[in-house]
Amino acid sequence: MLVPTVAFSETRLPNGLRLIISEDHLAPVAAVNVWYNVGSKHEVKGKTGFAHLFEHVMFQGSAHVGKAEHIALVQAAGGTMNGTTWLDRTNYFETMPSHQLELALWLEADRMGTLLDALSQENLDNQREVVKNEKRWSYDNRPYGSWVEKMLGSVFPEGHPYHHPTIGSMADLDAASIEDVSAFFRLHYAPNNAVISVVGDVEPEQVRAWVARYFGAIPANPSLPVPLPDMSLPPTLGGEIRTVVPDRVPLPRIHWGFRGPIFGDPRLDALDLAGQILAGGKGSRLHRRLVREERLAQDVALFSMGLVAGASVTAGWATARPGVDLVQLETAFWEELERMGREPVSEDELARAKALTEADELGALQRVDEKADRLSMYATLFNDAGMVNSILPRYLSTTAEQIQAVCRDVFVPDNRIVLTYVPAGAEAAPGAENTGTA
Amino acid sequence: MSAEQPVVVADRPTHGEPRPYHFPRFERNELSNGLGLITVHLPGRALLAASLVLPSGAVDEPAAQAGATSLMARSLSEGTKHHDAIGLTEATERLGASLHAEAGWDGFSISVEVPGERLGEALGLAAEIATEPTFPSADVDRLRDERMNDLLQAKADPRRRADDGFVNTIYAAGTAYGRPSAGTEQTVPGLDAAVLAALHARRLDPARMTLIVGGDLEAVGGDVRSIAESRFGAWAPNPAAEAPSKPRVESARHERIVRVIHREGSVQTEIRVGHVGVPRLIPDFHAVSVMSAILGGLFNSRLNRKLREEKGYTYGAGAGFDLRRGAGPFAVRAAVNTEVTVPAIVDILAELELMRATPPSSAELHAARDYLVGVFPLRFETPPPVVGAIAGLYIHGLPLDELDRYRPSIEAVTAADVQAAAERHIHTDELAIVLVGDADAILPALEGAAVGPITVEREELPGQSA
Repeated sequence: MLVPTVAFSETRLPNGLRLIISEDHLAPVAAVNVWYNVGSKHEVKGKTGFAHLFEHVMFQGSAHVGKAEHIALVQAAGGTMNGTTWLDRTNYFETMPSHQLELALWLEADRMGTLLDALSQENLDNQREVVKNEKRWSYDNRPYGSWVEKMLGSVFPEGHPYHHPTIGSMADLDAASIEDVSAFFRLHYAPNNAVISVVGDVEPEQVRAWVARYFGAIPANPSLPVPLPDMSLPPTLGGEIRTVVPDRVPLPRIHWGFRGPIFGDPRLDALDLAGQILAGGKGSRLHRRLVREERLAQDVALFSMGLVAGASVTAGWATARPGVDLVQLETAFWEELERMGREPVSEDELARAKALTEADELGALQRVDEKADRLSMYATLFNDAGMVNSILPRYLSTTAEQIQAVCRDVFVPDNRIVLTYVPAGAEAAPGAENTGTA
Repeated sequence: MSAEQPVVVADRPTHGEPRPYHFPRFERNELSNGLGLITVHLPGRALLAASLVLPSGAVDEPAAQAGATSLMARSLSEGTKHHDAIGLTEATERLGASLHAEAGWDGFSISVEVPGERLGEALGLAAEIATEPTFPSADVDRLRDERMNDLLQAKADPRRRADDGFVNTIYAAGTAYGRPSAGTEQTVPGLDAAVLAALHARRLDPARMTLIVGGDLEAVGGDVRSIAESRFGAWAPNPAAEAPSKPRVESARHERIVRVIHREGSVQTEIRVGHVGVPRLIPDFHAVSVMSAILGGLFNSRLNRKLREEKGYTYGAGAGFDLRRGAGPFAVRAAVNTEVTVPAIVDILAELELMRATPPSSAELHAARDYLVGVFPLRFETPPPVVGAIAGLYIHGLPLDELDRYRPSIEAVTAADVQAAAERHIHTDELAIVLVGDADAILPALEGAAVGPITVEREELPGQSA
């Protein structure tokens, strides 16, 4: 199998905006993906949820675009669009029929340059309510919905920029003022804090001309980059954290969490492959043992959320089948994780994990939106868009010994968070209070 | 740069010349055993998609065995005459492939994604699970138990509780669409290996099925027809196989009803409003598509604009017709914070009335048509959706040029067509309003609003403290 190389060019406008272009003329489609180097890690105490609330405001109009008109124009042009917020960044993207590309560039430039011209209290209040309903829908009213907040809150200590989730708290959302929104925009939303990738059925010379025309006069913010507090952390938690969480759930579920290596560290690549071998599909170790053979669990998962400073989060869970002893479930799960650090994975397991990784990459790079997102991501986080091509060889050169080594470091009892969700009213269920099995 | 110099360009650009586009051309053949073969060449798409499709699904199973088709599909990869489940998974993974079988209401499919040069081996595994499954009892029982546990989880999840409560409110007992397609607490316990094996023998027949292969066929390193013949050609036709039924669909009621499913302390109410809709094969399909986009499909649809962008009641509101072989549900969906439940319902009812009462504005009509026409090429960038769209033609018995006619037919829809479709297919006096939320918090206002007769269910939900 040969995964094709992504050819691209990278230039920088005088105002600092980085522009990455990659041609792919297979389909009459063009993707635009703008990454701003601002995420929930830039929020300060009392203002959590701000980066994400702000992302909503970015769809409320700018000098030459009315409220919700951005989306109306993109959809009427036959395009799709969205925005997302994460701990390390915020991004905005459009996929357009290629003859409509210029419209997407103009829309992104208008809000990068003039968002505050259209900002109103009414629109802010409206989107605050929308975001609060997003929080209710995605977290508060969902079974097991609180695990992300609890996991981040445990992996990262109080005061660490990754301690709180992107959705923030209701109280902080309520307190967000129009002055806060303006200050946030002035500080973070500037061309020298952004990367724009344009991928697909495009002419690079034409794209460069359009980007210069639409973005070229937007002033840089000379006070960037925004300094962050020291985010470094000890490699492990230094102790086990156990919590029992009563929730409206019919089946108990155990969530595990660990501090892992940061995104960009090759040891995280090895941990990703470990996740595939442990829980990727029904041939994986955890699925075979917990779901198929011992029938303790309804489902299992294990994966890492890569973060660029301090530590990443490696998270897993297993939903107990009715009547299962949670001690037995936890013991079996833990034994499989520990075994990864004790002995190398087999050649066949590693080969299969790599074959799947390679096929996933082949599939992902068939899509212009995915290519644009990755180019912007690697340029923003690592100042190296070329990682779009070098990441796969890194995975493919990972050895069984490297996987064993990272598992030995990460899957240790004093780096372990255990959140046990139990049906409300059944907090005293057998096993819920057990004190660990290591 | 002077302070007066604008930082952006005020004038919105016009678009360029669209590149000519048509849905990818496909070719139809037949293998020696009558299995249909569709090939669609998509240059540069080295990760191929293939799907073996049968136009028969959960709607065709007997009510007493509800869930059998879904469980049969899930059980196919639990073992074959040549591989046990783990052996099959490992063989698939070594190819860098994925292989899975699934059943919907109208169709059943076995789908593969694989790098082109390994197509033959992946189709070999697909053929194995299609033709030689062993349905090991212990594994079938495990999957059946997992489905029972999933039903428990569904009750605790407000979204799934609302969806299930909505369909069993609108359809009469005995109509398949009134239950979940993967079966109920009553029917799933009765499913076992013998039931699945019998269903497999009754349904699968190469002469009624079609294999669709899409991607860069030059990467295959051989002729797809010969490869397919070598993997599927020996599969004997099954003259005993049953043809798909014409689904019997009966509405439960012809008057308004409000059904409240109590979930104590719920911070949101999951709202479903609608009734039995229409089947896929209707003459005004394209008008219904445009009307649905205006009502609840586009971001700036009437419902989302009102409930989200004006009122802030919800993260998102939408509406649509689920178009199946028989009349699937028509539903408006939104989750709103508990305090605004009744005002949100009042707004939804008003939008449904308005959709029937007046034609859409010219701007709304153009926005919807331009979106559906313009986004069409974006939907078919990679092999899986291309193969999926062709599979849909077989599942619904549509003409093979249906996808080519889609864009001109959408462009021809008029404002009068949209209003006529709304008048024909939205019945505001027959709406079922199903709510999953805190009944104690919403009942006083709900009773005052007089939107319809109310029933309240306070069955104990799992994990709800006493």
